[in-house]
Amino acid sequence: MNFLRKIFAESGKLVEKGKPLSWAYPVWEAADTIFFSTNKQTSSGPHIRDNMDIKRTMFFVVLALIPCYIFGAYNIGYLNSLALDIERSLLANTIFGLTYVLPILIVTFVAGAICELTFAIIRKHEVNEGFLVSCALIPLTMPPDVPLWQVFMGTSFGIIIGKEIFGGVGTNVFNPALTARAFMYFAFPTKISGDKVWAVGPDGYSGATALAIPANPVEYDTASNLFAASTQFDFSLLNMFWGLIPGSIGETNKVLIIGGALFLIYCGIASWRIIMSSVIGLVLTAFLFNLLAGFSSNAMLTITPLQHLLIGSFLFGTVFMATEPVTSSHTNTGRWIYGFLIGVLTVIIRSINPAYPEGVMLAILIMNMFAPLIDYYVIQSNIKMRLARNA
Amino acid sequence: MQKIKIKKGHDINISGLASRDFSSASNPKFVSISPLDFNYIKPKMLVKENDSVSMGDALFFDKNNPEVKWPSIASGTISKIVYGERRAVQEIIIEVDSESEKNNDSFGELNLSSRTDIKKFISKCNMWPFITQRPFNKVVNPDDEPKCIVVSLADSSPLACDLSFSLNDKKDDIVSALSVLKKLTDGPLYVAVRGSNFAFLSDYDFVNLVQVEGPHPSGNVGVILNKVNPINQNEVIWTVQGAHLPILGKLFSKGEYDFSLNINVAGPAVNPSYYKSRMGIQFNCFKSSLKQDEVRIISGNVLTGKKIEIDRFLGFYHSTFSVIEESYERPFIGWLHPGGKTRYSVFNAYFGSNKNSYDFTTLQNGSNRAFVPVDAWEKVFPMDIYINSLARSIEANDVDEMEQLGIYECDEEDVALCSFVCPSKSNVGSIIRKGLDTIYFDK
Repeated sequence: MNFLRKIFAESGKLVEKGKPLSWAYPVWEAADTIFFSTNKQTSSGPHIRDNMDIKRTMFFVVLALIPCYIFGAYNIGYLNSLALDIERSLLANTIFGLTYVLPILIVTFVAGAICELTFAIIRKHEVNEGFLVSCALIPLTMPPDVPLWQVFMGTSFGIIIGKEIFGGVGTNVFNPALTARAFMYFAFPTKISGDKVWAVGPDGYSGATALAIPANPVEYDTASNLFAASTQFDFSLLNMFWGLIPGSIGETNKVLIIGGALFLIYCGIASWRIIMSSVIGLVLTAFLFNLLAGFSSNAMLTITPLQHLLIGSFLFGTVFMATEPVTSSHTNTGRWIYGFLIGVLTVIIRSINPAYPEGVMLAILIMNMFAPLIDYYVIQSNIKMRLARNA
Repeated sequence: MQKIKIKKGHDINISGLASRDFSSASNPKFVSISPLDFNYIKPKMLVKENDSVSMGDALFFDKNNPEVKWPSIASGTISKIVYGERRAVQEIIIEVDSESEKNNDSFGELNLSSRTDIKKFISKCNMWPFITQRPFNKVVNPDDEPKCIVVSLADSSPLACDLSFSLNDKKDDIVSALSVLKKLTDGPLYVAVRGSNFAFLSDYDFVNLVQVEGPHPSGNVGVILNKVNPINQNEVIWTVQGAHLPILGKLFSKGEYDFSLNINVAGPAVNPSYYKSRMGIQFNCFKSSLKQDEVRIISGNVLTGKKIEIDRFLGFYHSTFSVIEESYERPFIGWLHPGGKTRYSVFNAYFGSNKNSYDFTTLQNGSNRAFVPVDAWEKVFPMDIYINSLARSIEANDVDEMEQLGIYECDEEDVALCSFVCPSKSNVGSIIRKGLDTIYFDK
């Protein structure tokens, strides 16, 4: 321990103000405070501070994601064993999956760290631990066999265009992780939006997600019947709840996502208002579409509210992406509206335009854009109240 | 009686609360008054070093408002005038002559029936600095007509003096102070109390009693006003420190100066207690109660007080010395710490964290980072103001928006808890002060 302390103390002298290496101070500060909590003291009132800091806030989000990683790895192995029709132990499945997940994870963090640190040095801002969350989220939204160079491109795009050009954490408009996902979705469609990519199998193996089934039915039927007719995977509600279906690495197991949501809400990090209202928005819109389904031959309209909740990455998106504090609404009233519209838009994009079966990504990005506008109107009503009082 | 209930906020459970008992301390040899305790004044001295002064004599006046003069809070000799940069007066230290204090003259029979008479009397005895105004938290301009006057006897800040104890034997002086203050405004005189404390005030119809309930900052003047009678643009309200009521009361009723003040010395690094003391007392008098060497002494409470050296003095508006440990500790991977009794957080992110009597130190517990709006400020800020947007408009220097978002209702002390909980370790109080300064110097 003393040895480490010494290293940091010595290297710290190199990056002091006025020294040739002073440009590297933000990087040194970030590394130093990872190992030893800062001994920075309060200088004026308040002289005492809460023990919570940004490092811990961001670490807790990452902590909530770890179970999704482990299950995601297991699921890759499990679906692969189904495709190959072999028996494998739970551990063997997980290890098989990890050989896919870890490279993606490493590439994401390397790309993310390069971008964040470079910008911290150039723009002379501190390294914000928020990039760890973005980097932890990106692999979970990927299909397992996505090419690593694409991951590198996507992450760099997400961090730079989604965050740094707006000034870094705190001033970004779009969720960086979703920006990365959207970039890859449109830049490399065959590898990420195709319906063959969601499970690892032999060449030509098709691992379609649940959403693709009512989106491209051979013959019109209700979604429930189509799911029941699917022989390749078990798309029953229970199985979709437990997540043993193809999909992005982290999205499939709803138990872990709900657990993560409860954990983050309990800790006071994620906004329950956004999660709650987006679920309400999704359920109401899905219900409305069910009523209209009789007038259309679009099978997507027949997906029941419960199925909408369980299929695709809606829950993952709303819990971990929509609640991102910087890009969501900043007022509590605004958060209700913001979340509700994410739910509504998700169903609309999913159902009306089957070319984009996964609507939640676009729904959140669109609402990221409108969040400041929602806040503007919420705050205007507060201003009007104050003006009326003054009159 | 009006009742207000505050839900948003937090009572910081810091250890070292003084029990309701007076200890004795050595008599002070020096007291001081510092122009730095007053916002927006330009002091011009009226005395020199080695001049002898009696209680109430004018020491200096404000060049912006010459009618406002500061009284000597002791009889004795001006022992030192401390100058800072560009010869700005920082402190006037008076050597106390306790013999001459005993023979202080009284003003005799007073006529305080009309508002003009009262204002004349306050000017004559140099007592305007005891009355401050919102917005801006500065000494009042005697020519203003305040919309109302507020006195909080329900201070909720951490380790604050329990006024229901420290003012227990001063009922008559409190009533005479309030009866005179009421005549300074056409509006109501709000007096905030907690629970059944100061119940005797309900017998007086010139007092609008407000019973407050809930965690800090429920006892702050700004918060009470926000609930009962919000400040609008171009309005001014006046306020007096609850602890100062007996000083004003004795002057208004008997015509005598008496700057004695019951104070408390509290905090984790000190043996806490109440003391019968006086304004502007030197901390040295309580040196023996310190538990350790590496301490930070704060004049005022831990949220809004001022850091002072051990041989310095109590601030003009303060009645508490808080003492906490000056810590330089660097725990290994502290952000990974599971929790337990060594951590304190309003977030539920430390499991089994301390919820009662925690030994706070001066550690900031995290590095400064860009602001991430995790809804922390809002949980401890009870006013109907979007504090996050207000802070942004201040950073953007947008005066119109600051006014629209209600900056006049806020003061540093009202947002101190926001800084306390902020994971990005922002200082919201200094942002608000910056906004108020911008507006003040604009006009």
